[in-house]
Amino acid sequence: MSSIEVTNLQKTFQTKRKAAGMRGSLRALFKPEYNTVEAVRGLSFQMEAGELLGFIGPNGAGKSTTIKILTGILHPTSGDAKVLGFVPWKERQKLAYHIGTVFGQRPQLWYHLPAIDTFMLFGKIYELDDCETKKRISFLSEAFEIRDLLETPVRKLSLGQRMRCEVAASLLHRPKLLLLDEPSIGLDVVAKQHIRDAIRTMSQEEKVGVLLTSHDAGDLEALCRRVIIINHGQIVYEDKVSNLKRKFLTRKMVEVRYAEEVPPTFSIDGVEILKVGSYGVKLRFDTTKTPVDAVMAHLSQAGELVDITVSDPPLEEVIAKIYTANSVVE
Amino acid sequence: MKKYLSILTMQIINNIAYPGDFLGRSISIATFIFIFAGLWGTTFTIANTDAINGLTFPNMVWYFMMAETLELGRPRINRTISEQVKNGEVAYILNKPYNFLLYHFSAGLGDGAVRMTLNLIVGSIVAWILAGAPPAPLGWLMAFVTLIGAWILHFCFMALIGLAAFVVEETNSFELIYQKLVFILGGFLFPLDMFPTWLQNIAYALPFPYMMYAPARLFVKPDVDLFWRMLGGQAIWVTVFVFILAFVYQRSEKYLTVNGG
Repeated sequence: MSSIEVTNLQKTFQTKRKAAGMRGSLRALFKPEYNTVEAVRGLSFQMEAGELLGFIGPNGAGKSTTIKILTGILHPTSGDAKVLGFVPWKERQKLAYHIGTVFGQRPQLWYHLPAIDTFMLFGKIYELDDCETKKRISFLSEAFEIRDLLETPVRKLSLGQRMRCEVAASLLHRPKLLLLDEPSIGLDVVAKQHIRDAIRTMSQEEKVGVLLTSHDAGDLEALCRRVIIINHGQIVYEDKVSNLKRKFLTRKMVEVRYAEEVPPTFSIDGVEILKVGSYGVKLRFDTTKTPVDAVMAHLSQAGELVDITVSDPPLEEVIAKIYTANSVVE
Repeated sequence: MKKYLSILTMQIINNIAYPGDFLGRSISIATFIFIFAGLWGTTFTIANTDAINGLTFPNMVWYFMMAETLELGRPRINRTISEQVKNGEVAYILNKPYNFLLYHFSAGLGDGAVRMTLNLIVGSIVAWILAGAPPAPLGWLMAFVTLIGAWILHFCFMALIGLAAFVVEETNSFELIYQKLVFILGGFLFPLDMFPTWLQNIAYALPFPYMMYAPARLFVKPDVDLFWRMLGGQAIWVTVFVFILAFVYQRSEKYLTVNGG
């Protein structure tokens, strides 16, 4: 059974255009001109119940607009969508009982009060009885490791701690579907891992479907089975994450630091050296052409390693690669 | 209903989270009453009279105390809505299972209850020192009854201005116009009794006196006829504005754009 069905969804905004300076301001005052921004352009996709679906794309791709349409906050310009059988913008309040949302850049917890107060308030808002709310808070505080944070005013929490509380709060009413809009934005590596682990556990234990938007390919690899990549409001790729990894996330970026100086002529066969510093090297290679273990062996033989960082290519690069692949196919 | 009561309670808790700020707010009402008492004192001395258009000096000071309690205590819901639209927080308010307007009504009432209570306590102490004993219990009763209608009317105006933020984002200019209308035609700066009859008639034909003059005037000079007239006026205007608000909300929802999307 589908939890989300989207058909030919479109959303356009009008934004005011103004030239620089006083002249531009006066002109905009008397003769305003508008740009039409097509945030979402004919989006169609489905999401199965309990699925972990990644919805990724660069900034301004239309991810957040789509999520806001799916939660009923924004009305689409045209097209259809059903979330858990509800038309979101027509039945927003009914739908709200069955979904949880987290907008990574916005707080839903009351800033000056301890998170426990917001949890108790949400219990009332979602019409849970006090006993059930307390049981649920106890369960979530274990799952998200927030027991010791609940009585601290939210403003005193670190971003990572706050985000764990935010996601836990959105699960208080046992939603069937969790819509996460950039939940890991601004978090450090450890905090990201914490959030990802907790989301994965909750999804497995409570069969909550998760639609996750992110511009971090790491979120996708850690959490999702299927991915939809959008750019300029359109789907540019839709497949299993394993296929995406095999086809497009094959290039790895590695940064190493050595205890002793690196010779400027440093090189490894089949590896693109991006930068050689006094004590460090930055390189990039394609895992389908050059085996990872061969590169690692070469790096460790070159000197005493002090630090190493392996990262995926930025999403923009992956999208560019998808476009190239598509145009070759066409 | 329980959920709205919880929102109201939460807002009260939120307000008293900072006792320093909570008490600091009281300084402004004390200062304003002190200044206005000075101005009215001088006016009565120059006019060499005990009453102007039926209102004595103590009446004026206690009238101003009640009007100022209302003015400083009423939450600026339009600013909250406007801020929520600008910073995107409105997304969280809209996707919870409650009515958007009733959410703001409850939160605003929680906010207003704390502020008005504090203003009333501090304002009464200052007014008592400057103008003598407070009005009779009947005045307090009539003021509190008409305060309900006044508050709902004020909420409707603030919410209407706030909903404009769904389309234009910045609503400060609308608030300024509204505030000045209440200051003059609502009887905030001067009781309507001070106005010439033609201006009083214009004021009574508008909703503003029912939001400010009604509770303040009935507080200092309880009058059964005026009380029923004011209640009747409030009932009519509340009905009209609740309908307008519901209609505008339905329409404006479609125009909402959330920043950062």
